[in-house]
Amino acid sequence: MKKVFALILAAVLAIGTLAGCGTDPAGSSAGQGEGQTKDLNIFTWDGYIPQDVLDGYTEQTGVKINISNFESNEEMLTKLEATGGGDYDIVIASDYIIDIARKKGGIMHELDTSKIANYNNIDAAFQGQFYDPDNQYTIPYAAGTPVIVYDPSLVDIDIQGYEDLWNPALADSIVAMDDGRNLIGMTLKSMGKSFNETDEAVLEQAKNKLMELKPNIRTLAVNQLQDVILSGEASVGYMFASQAAMAVEANPDLKVVYPKEGMGFGIDNIIVPAKAPNLENAYSFINYILDPEVGAKISSQIYYLCPNKAAAEFLPESFTSNAALFIPSEVLKNTEFIQDVGETTAAYDKIWTEFKQQ
Amino acid sequence: MKKTARRKKDKAWTMAVPLYLFTIVFVVIPLIYIVVLSFLQKDVLWGVTNQFTLNNYAKMFDPVYGKTFLDSLKLAFATTLITTLMGYPFGYFMARLAPNRRNFVMLLVVVPFWTNALVRIYGWMILLRTKGVLNQALLALGIVDEPIKILYTYGAVLIGMVYSLLPFMILPVYSSVEKMDWSLVEAARDLGAGRIKAFFTVTLKLTLPGVLSGFVLVFVPSIGLFFLADLLGGGKIMLVGNLIKNQLLQARDWPFGAALSVVLMLMTFLIIFLYRKLTHSKDLEGFF
Repeated sequence: MKKVFALILAAVLAIGTLAGCGTDPAGSSAGQGEGQTKDLNIFTWDGYIPQDVLDGYTEQTGVKINISNFESNEEMLTKLEATGGGDYDIVIASDYIIDIARKKGGIMHELDTSKIANYNNIDAAFQGQFYDPDNQYTIPYAAGTPVIVYDPSLVDIDIQGYEDLWNPALADSIVAMDDGRNLIGMTLKSMGKSFNETDEAVLEQAKNKLMELKPNIRTLAVNQLQDVILSGEASVGYMFASQAAMAVEANPDLKVVYPKEGMGFGIDNIIVPAKAPNLENAYSFINYILDPEVGAKISSQIYYLCPNKAAAEFLPESFTSNAALFIPSEVLKNTEFIQDVGETTAAYDKIWTEFKQQ
Repeated sequence: MKKTARRKKDKAWTMAVPLYLFTIVFVVIPLIYIVVLSFLQKDVLWGVTNQFTLNNYAKMFDPVYGKTFLDSLKLAFATTLITTLMGYPFGYFMARLAPNRRNFVMLLVVVPFWTNALVRIYGWMILLRTKGVLNQALLALGIVDEPIKILYTYGAVLIGMVYSLLPFMILPVYSSVEKMDWSLVEAARDLGAGRIKAFFTVTLKLTLPGVLSGFVLVFVPSIGLFFLADLLGGGKIMLVGNLIKNQLLQARDWPFGAALSVVLMLMTFLIIFLYRKLTHSKDLEGFF
């Protein structure tokens, strides 16, 4: 019996190593140097690119689009690492993970902007950020900022910033995103500190303050925060712009607040993996996305801030009048990205664990 | 004659090769990977470094992280207790029904499994909302004056747990009651035991393997059903499952997540070990 087991184990290991040696070079040689191919492999969250945009690209170019989805940025980077970035041509992911990929090196293709005719349509306000200071790797796809949304008919106080969330008048009535970095960050902001504070003494104060918020929290949620507000389960929400935008569209009486202490910010970007098999199609897809009309089509369907300045005139009125989507640029100047805090991540995790316990 | 029999036996193992391969590739190798990962150190930027450490296990003794284990066990015990109190009578009377009715009830118990668990939990969320069906009914009947807040409480999590796991108690109890030898109960009654005494001295003892099997089948998954705490509890309850999820998705501390998983698996082994010791049986009643 033992012998059989050992034999099988050896066989599995042998097959594993053979496969490991075999596929890698084959995969990369098949991909590159063939010039124009008829495929484009996109890797992003489910439903993040509207179907009519994908169809429009296929119609225009005849290139077949294959979409793969990931659940989280972390899953995305793990897969890109495992395949050396060789399976995908277009990846759309968040700022902080792109920062990690850039620091690791060798994962992303350095873009040749001369191949992108529509490159100048990009709103420069969304470029040159911490994850890509020299705009070598990224094309902004969508941006968002967490805002406070509330129902004035159910709330007695006038909410202007994070600090107001601690008001006892809001007992058991807040829905907030189930995200440690955002909620601890919001607490830090209310204390006049940064979203990315690394001083443990300050974090300890923030923890104590966050604990005092507990009686006001009705629920923490990851998805469909707008439904919690719309169903009347909670009257105040701290949520991402896209969710706030949907809430406001369903109930125009809701009020959107740009917290006066300063807002968080996030940009999801298009990147091209270093070993993209269909590089030419990746460029043509980026160019297509940056078309003003296509850009407007995307933003008005996925409910995020539009980083395509040429798209402005094509955006529908319902988009430009939505306070969660059309944020004045002077407000956007006072925003801060949530970035990787290295070693301090553990401290954030501990605070969050303690906060979520009964 | 003897020789051919021997040869047949030698060849028999080849039949099991696909099974071995499957187990090795999908169970043994990932398991080894998790155990190895749990002794490595988190890389500050991304992933892990090859440095050996016991810190991931030591970290669990921190009261904050230790409490998640206690909270998980508490919820699992409460769930097991309630499902036993509800599932035993259910399984018992189900086994006593006429066969055609019994099959119908069995169908009703199993039907919910045809729908995804997550979808059913969203159904519960709609039922339990402040303006939901349950509150509307209570208000209309005049039982309460203002809507009661059930959703996003500990009670809601418990309801969801019991709802999801009740069949795992009903079925083993049913199976052991069904194959019980009723002449033993008759004998007890003939010898002068009352209904209640006969139940406790004969029926309960004979069906105990079913109940214990139900304990295991309810207790073990109830430690892991973290999405119930997120959806019905409003994310305000931190179970080990939630903690593991956060290590993978938010804190990016895979080694700590792996160490938590290893401890969780050891707890599961311990429970199954105790079950085997208590019942002298290798299999779970009613399921295998």
